[in-house]
Amino acid sequence: MGAERLSEQLEQIVLKRIAEDSLILPTLPAVVTKALEVLKDPDVSFKHVGTIIERDPVLAARLLRLATSAAFAGGTKKVTLPEALTRLGAKAVRGLLVEATAQKVFVSRDPKIADSMKRVWQHSVAVATLSRDVLALSGNADSEAAYLAGLLHDVGKPVVASLLLEFERQVTEVYNRPFIDSAEWVAVIGRTHRAVGVALGEKWNMPEQVTRCIRDSAEYDNADRASLVNIVCFSNSLAKKTGIHAGTIDADEVDALVMIGRSIIGANDEIIKTLTRGLKERVSNLYD
Amino acid sequence: MATILTVDDSRSVRTIVAKQVKDLGFEVEEAEDGVQGLEKLGGREYDLVLLDVTMPNLDGPGMLAKMREAGNKTPVIMLTSESKRSVVSGVMKIGIADYILKPFKPEELRAKVLSVLQGEGGAEEVLAVSSDPAPQAPEPSSQARVETGKQFVDVLVVDDMENVHKKLRTMLPNHITLNGVTSAQAALQTCRQRVFRVALVDTEIPDVDSAVLAQQLKVLQPHAAFVALALRTTNDVMGEARAQGFDNVLFKPFNQDNVDDFLGQYFDNLDLLSAEENVLKVAAFTGRADRIDKYFARIAETYGSLLNKVAAACFEDVVLDVSAAPTTGDKLAKFLLSSADQAKQVGMRFAVVGTADLQKILNSYTETKELRFYGSVPEAQAAAQA
Repeated sequence: MGAERLSEQLEQIVLKRIAEDSLILPTLPAVVTKALEVLKDPDVSFKHVGTIIERDPVLAARLLRLATSAAFAGGTKKVTLPEALTRLGAKAVRGLLVEATAQKVFVSRDPKIADSMKRVWQHSVAVATLSRDVLALSGNADSEAAYLAGLLHDVGKPVVASLLLEFERQVTEVYNRPFIDSAEWVAVIGRTHRAVGVALGEKWNMPEQVTRCIRDSAEYDNADRASLVNIVCFSNSLAKKTGIHAGTIDADEVDALVMIGRSIIGANDEIIKTLTRGLKERVSNLYD
Repeated sequence: MATILTVDDSRSVRTIVAKQVKDLGFEVEEAEDGVQGLEKLGGREYDLVLLDVTMPNLDGPGMLAKMREAGNKTPVIMLTSESKRSVVSGVMKIGIADYILKPFKPEELRAKVLSVLQGEGGAEEVLAVSSDPAPQAPEPSSQARVETGKQFVDVLVVDDMENVHKKLRTMLPNHITLNGVTSAQAALQTCRQRVFRVALVDTEIPDVDSAVLAQQLKVLQPHAAFVALALRTTNDVMGEARAQGFDNVLFKPFNQDNVDDFLGQYFDNLDLLSAEENVLKVAAFTGRADRIDKYFARIAETYGSLLNKVAAACFEDVVLDVSAAPTTGDKLAKFLLSSADQAKQVGMRFAVVGTADLQKILNSYTETKELRFYGSVPEAQAAAQA
C-alpha cells in the first residue's frame, strides 16, 4: 500500500470515528466539570468553588500561583484558594480551568511528537493572547470567548497526532509495514484536526462560537467581518508571521492572510506593531 | 498630479472609487475589465491601479500577470470581495502593493492609496520586534484634536471607584483634561472614540485582569503611556507593574507630591519653554503656589539646550519672552540673571521681553537693571536689527 493511500485511509478512519462518535477524546476532569457547572451560578461563593478545586491539588496550586502573580496589592500575605479565586473573578477562573485542561492535551510522553506538540501549545497561547487583544478593536471587553477560541483552535492536532501514533504502532509492529513519512503526518493532521477539535469542543461544552472558530478559522468570513472566526484567523496568521508556530508554514499564505486581515479587521500598521510588540516574551512568560 | 486607473466591472464601484480618489486631488480613469485595463495601460502611464479580481473577459489576476509579464511595474491595490487566501496569495506572488476587501470604508481606500502613492509601499513588514522602543506619547493638551479627528484628552482613569477619578481631578491643574470610567467595557469604548496621552489603570478592578485590559487598551491607544494605579505594599510594585506591561505606577491614596511628579513626567516639562528661531518663550505657571520652585527649575533645565540650538543656528541675539511667567518673589529675576550669563558664555546678546511689572522689578535690582528689556518680541527683534 502506497503512503498516499495509507494517508487517505487514516484520514477516513479519523473522520469515520468522529461521525460514529467512537473517537476517544480527552475528557474534562471531574473537578473541572463540577467547578464549571457551579460557576454558571452568578451568586456562587468562591469558598464553595475552592472546596471543589482543592480536590485537585495540582490545579489548585496553579490557580493560586496565577492569582498571586496577577496581583499587585497582595503584599507578602499568603492568600487562600477562595481569596485567589475571588481576586481572579469567575470569568477568569472558568477560562483558567479550561486552559489548564487543554494544556494537558498537548503534553505527550512520546518523544516523536512531544516537542512539536509543545510548540503547537505555545502557538495556541499566542493566538489566544492576540485574539483577546484584537477583540479590543471592537470595543468589546468580554474576551473570555476570544481567548478560548484562540487557545483551542488547534486542539484537535494533539488528538490526531496521538491517534496516528497508535496507528503507526499497529502498522509497523503488528503488520510489519512501513508507515507514512513526517510530511504525510502533517498533511493528515492538517486535513482532520479541525473536525476532531470541533468534536472535542462539543464534548467539553464549549460555547458555540468557540467550536465555530475551531471549524472555520482557516479562512475569513466575508459575511460577518466582526466575527470571532475572523479575529482568530487574523491572530493565527499574525502569530505565525511573528515566528510562533510549529513545523513549517506556507509563508505566502501567511502573508496573504495578514494582508486580508488588515482590511477585514481594520488593523493598520500601527495596530499590528502594538499587537505583536513583545509577543514572544509575553507568551513565553505563560509557559509552564 | 497622480493618475489612478480603476478596473472593475461594477459601474457603481468605479463611481465610488473615482469620487474618493478625486476628493484626494488625483485624476482617475476607468476600465470595466482586464482587457480594457491593459488597453488603457498601453496608452499612457498610471501611478496606481485599483484592480478587482472577478471580472468578465479578463479577470484581475489575469490582467496583473500580463502587466508584469510586459514589464509594467505600476503599483496595484486589489479591491475585491474575494478573500480566499489561495487567491490573494496568488496575486501577491505576481506583485500587489496592498489589498482592500469590499465593501470598503472610504477612509481605508484613502489611507491605502495615499500610502502607496507617497512611497510607503502599502502593506509592508510591520511586525514589531521585541527590541522596538515603546511608542512616544502624542502631543499634549495644547493640541485639542489629532489628525484622526478623535477628541484629544490628557488623562484616562480606569478605576471602579468613582472617588478615585474625583480625587485625582481635584489634584490636577484645570488645563489637564481627564476622563474617568469605572469598567473595562467603558474603557474600551472610550478608547475607541478618543485619543489619550496617559491611561491610568487600576490594578484591582473586580473580575478584570488589569494587565490584560492594559494590553487591550494599548491596541487602541498605541501612543499613550500606561500607568498602573496601585496601593503601596511591601512588594516591588514598580517591578510587578513593569512586568505586566505598564510604564509606571501612581500610588493610591494620592498625595500631591506624587501627582506633581506624574505631571512633571508626562506634561509639565513639555511646553514650559518653547523656541521659535531665536525667541524662547516661557509658558504660564498653572500649578499650585508651592510648586513654583519646580516650575523654574524645569525651565532652567530646558533653557541651556535650547540656547545651544539658537547659537548653533548662528543667531547673534537670543530673546527670552517671560511675559507669561509669574513675577512674585525673586525667582524670575534670578532665572533671568542666570539666563543672561549663559547667553554671554556662548557669545550671544541677551534680551528680555516681559510685562511692565517685571520691568519695575528688574530695575529695582542692581544686578538686573542693566538687562536689555522690551515690552514685546517685535520690539526686541527690531532693536537687535538696528
